[in-house]
Amino acid sequence: MQNTIVCRCEEVKLGEIISSIESGATTLRAIKVVTRAGMGICQGRTCRPLIEDCLSKTIKQDSNDVQQLNFGNPIRPIRLSELANTRKG
Amino acid sequence: MRISNHPVLENTAGDEIEFTFDGKKYLAKQGETIAAALLAHNIRILRYSMKEKRPRGIYCGIGHCYECRVLLDGQVSVRACLTRVRDNMTIVSEREDSNEF
Amino acid sequence: MNFDLVIIGAGPAGMSAAIKAAENGVSVAIIDENPEVGGKLLGQLYKDSKSGWWIGQKIADELGKKLTDLNIAFFLEEQVCGIFPRWEVLLSSGERLHGKYIIIATGAAEKALPIPGWTLPGVMAIGAAQMLTNYHRVKPGEKIAIIGIDPLSLTIAYDMRLAGIHVVGIYLPKKSEFSHMKAEPKQLISYLSNFVHVLPNPFLKLFGKMLKYPVIQNLAITYYPSFGIKVFGVPLHIRKAVVEIVGENQVDAIKVEKVDKNGSANGKMEEVTVDCVCISGGLYPLGEIARVAGCEFAYLEEVGGYVPLHNENLETTQAGIFTAGNITGIEGANVAIEQGNLVGLVISDRLGLLKNSKEIIKAKKKVLLAREEAVISFQPQIEIGKEKIAELWNKRMNE
Ligand SMILES: Cc1cc2nc3c(=O)[nH]c(=O)nc-3n(C[C@H](O)[C@H](O)[C@H](O)COP(=O)(O)OP(=O)(O)OC[C@H]3O[C@@H](n4cnc5c(N)ncnc54)[C@H](O)[C@@H]3O)c2cc1C
Ligand code: FES
Repeated sequence: MQNTIVCRCEEVKLGEIISSIESGATTLRAIKVVTRAGMGICQGRTCRPLIEDCLSKTIKQDSNDVQQLNFGNPIRPIRLSELANTRKG
Repeated sequence: MRISNHPVLENTAGDEIEFTFDGKKYLAKQGETIAAALLAHNIRILRYSMKEKRPRGIYCGIGHCYECRVLLDGQVSVRACLTRVRDNMTIVSEREDSNEF
Repeated sequence: MNFDLVIIGAGPAGMSAAIKAAENGVSVAIIDENPEVGGKLLGQLYKDSKSGWWIGQKIADELGKKLTDLNIAFFLEEQVCGIFPRWEVLLSSGERLHGKYIIIATGAAEKALPIPGWTLPGVMAIGAAQMLTNYHRVKPGEKIAIIGIDPLSLTIAYDMRLAGIHVVGIYLPKKSEFSHMKAEPKQLISYLSNFVHVLPNPFLKLFGKMLKYPVIQNLAITYYPSFGIKVFGVPLHIRKAVVEIVGENQVDAIKVEKVDKNGSANGKMEEVTVDCVCISGGLYPLGEIARVAGCEFAYLEEVGGYVPLHNENLETTQAGIFTAGNITGIEGANVAIEQGNLVGLVISDRLGLLKNSKEIIKAKKKVLLAREEAVISFQPQIEIGKEKIAELWNKRMNE
């Protein structure tokens, strides 16, 4: 399983996520910064629950305690040109 | 790969339209998404991943995962599973050198 | 553009809310990234013992027609990219919609279940196969394996058989960080015994009833035949797991291994030729927009994951933001419709447009009734989950 991709967008493997946790990345945000998992175009919609699984299995945390990623705008990809267009209008 | 006679659902009629994918011409049914039209021709590979350059196709089929991104008439990262084919569309599989957002 | 109400998501929940609100004179905009309204309704097909076939697309068409008749503003093929106080919704075209009230009805997403080889073209989430088979009418493959045994994968296996698609078998996933009870025959059987009412095949119904007893559950696992038990002609393998999906540029085969009662591999490996693999990892409420809007969330296993905290009026902790449908917990489309009706009435009332507020009480009852009578259910303890949400809400309000 270690070589199995978990984050399909950024092509991050299970092994990379587990070792990031073992070296101290114990929040979703820390794992994201270290491995790029969840940073891709789908914004973690596919891998976020998986990374929560990894966290709760590796450091025996309950899902309720796993510190949630900060969600922020934009939640979907948007072209800068389109943002700029409407600011004017 | 089309399902032509369904025992419960009404059969889908619809005119056929032509589109181009990676330089070859195919027929789609009016109103069909790019991903469905390609799969009807047994085409599953829609893009190649950035890092490992591995082939990818549809995964979620409902717009969530962005695995089905293609280049559509020059526009990058268009989701093939949600976007309908229009007459004479030109679609190209997304690769490393297709500019990301 | 300004509206009384902006609805995000045109699934059964969002559409019903739009209709109820517009009927009372509320100005409504509804947004969806699909080219057509209906959400997950579009792919649904199953036999309902009371009303015959449940054809989701027909229901979507009927709701869609009402939306058109009521002159509701549609924003289709538009993704909601952001939401800003109070309240502005940013669309992918750059358009900004302003609403006094917002309903977030974004539905559910599938939980991924990684298996070695799962990124190969030809591997898809079970929901993709449902849409292809029932909506697009294209075969997901010529020879299909399903991984993950649950009410949804069984329903879709049936749909595929109905459409004349060859399904070689339904298997367990390889045991991993992500498989939970899905890879453990013992736990799985006791979970499945909760769904006797949705298991469509008479044989399975009988089997299901017996499985209520732990002793029989144990026997059933021990003596489970190695060729599987056929459900609608598809072998269901409770003692075999797919450990790898193989292929060069797309799926060629799966590697299957025998497992013991707890899901640990203990037997020979066999290779089965397939060109498509459908993985069913379960569903979770899709709440990202409510998060960005600042709604508070709670994690409840019973409803399927993180949900925005809400009260019985489906109001969230953020003023003006309401919610409905599967974002509040994983359930069938009928419940989503009733929740939509309810929230549409509540908002009409807030705007002073509802003539008879008794309608709200009736609508609340209908939500409970739909939940009780659901033909398809995903979370056996949904009712407990809903009670817990109500408790959490009350606790939060008394703080
Ligand atoms: C794969 C799958 C299969 C299912 N199969 C069944 C079944 O067979 N039977 C059954 O009863 N239930 C099924 N369900 C449960 C289903 O969620 C409910 O039946 C019902 O459709 C929920 O209604 P809803 O309105 O809450 O959400 P949905 O029907 O999911 O509608 C939500 C809509 O919001 C849109 N949306 C989400 N985010 C955005 C955004 N950022 N921008 C724009 N639009 C957005 C989506 O495109 C979607 O159209 C299934 C769910 C899934 C995920
Ligand atoms: S297949 Fe997931 S977005 Fe198209």
